[in-house]
Amino acid sequence: MTNKKGGAKLAIIITASALVIAAGVFALVYFLNKPKAEEGTKAYTFVVVDDKGASKEYKGKTDTQFLRGLMDELKAKGDFTYEGSDSEYGLYIESVNGLKADYNVDKAYWAIYVNGEYGQLGADTQPVNDGDSFKLAYEK
Amino acid sequence: MRFTVKDIATIGLMTALIEAVKWALQGIPNVEMVTLLFMVFAVTYGLKTCIASLIFTGVETLIWGVHIWVIMYIYIWPLLILISYFMGKKKLPDWAFVFLGSFYGLFFGMICAVPYVFFGGIKVAVAWWIAGIPFDILHAVSNTVLCLVLFKPLRMALTKIIGTPYKGGEISEDNRHT
Repeated sequence: MTNKKGGAKLAIIITASALVIAAGVFALVYFLNKPKAEEGTKAYTFVVVDDKGASKEYKGKTDTQFLRGLMDELKAKGDFTYEGSDSEYGLYIESVNGLKADYNVDKAYWAIYVNGEYGQLGADTQPVNDGDSFKLAYEK
Repeated sequence: MRFTVKDIATIGLMTALIEAVKWALQGIPNVEMVTLLFMVFAVTYGLKTCIASLIFTGVETLIWGVHIWVIMYIYIWPLLILISYFMGKKKLPDWAFVFLGSFYGLFFGMICAVPYVFFGGIKVAVAWWIAGIPFDILHAVSNTVLCLVLFKPLRMALTKIIGTPYKGGEISEDNRHT
């Protein structure tokens, strides 16, 4: 009985250690490979395309690291607005410049394009590098 | 595998419970009880839980629309159910299921990244997995806490409901319903 209990204790310790080691390795992989942003002043082009295809362009320089920071900077300047909600996948953009995209109503959403390509990351994790061009497009 | 009227009703209840619990915890990032409930159902009701997981995926698709995660859900939950079922058959202790929840949370992103290999290539899949590692670690922590606190009582309660006294890691074959 004591041996059985001792064996279970050892198995728990070994499995818990394996879990901690695996989590540590994963964390290391993340920190060595996470999307990196350049420091300093970076030129950007930011375009918003609405539901009628009309576009509005913003150009400038920023020190922000990620797209959400750039959007917040534009919002603070007053000529751009956005609303969204935070989910486990990061920021979900719900409306831009007062135009709401409701996926539940008509499958509309705000798509992010980076340098002409469909973005692979959310606004929270999309790095801003010098010369980058971003587009927020209302799509169905 | 034969399905009785009781099975159909049970599968419906399992799906409804999982869907309700998912909605209830939706506001808390990376905290979910779907993993825990599928594990408890798998060791109690057996492989028929896979049907509940597929219906759950169908309901989620109706709510959120068709996306790449639908493919992930089609295999990730049945895989968890299969692992839990065979661990239950081996009469592994409750702590082993707590670790199953922990590891499943930690490797969730890696397992989910598989469809990206076919849609964007191995580089896209790896980048997608790496970007989600902080969420996977949080997922592992929350699964560990939830399973540690709730796996045993839920398993005991469910075993009691279907009529066999809980004997600590043993489920009667008569009540496995497979």
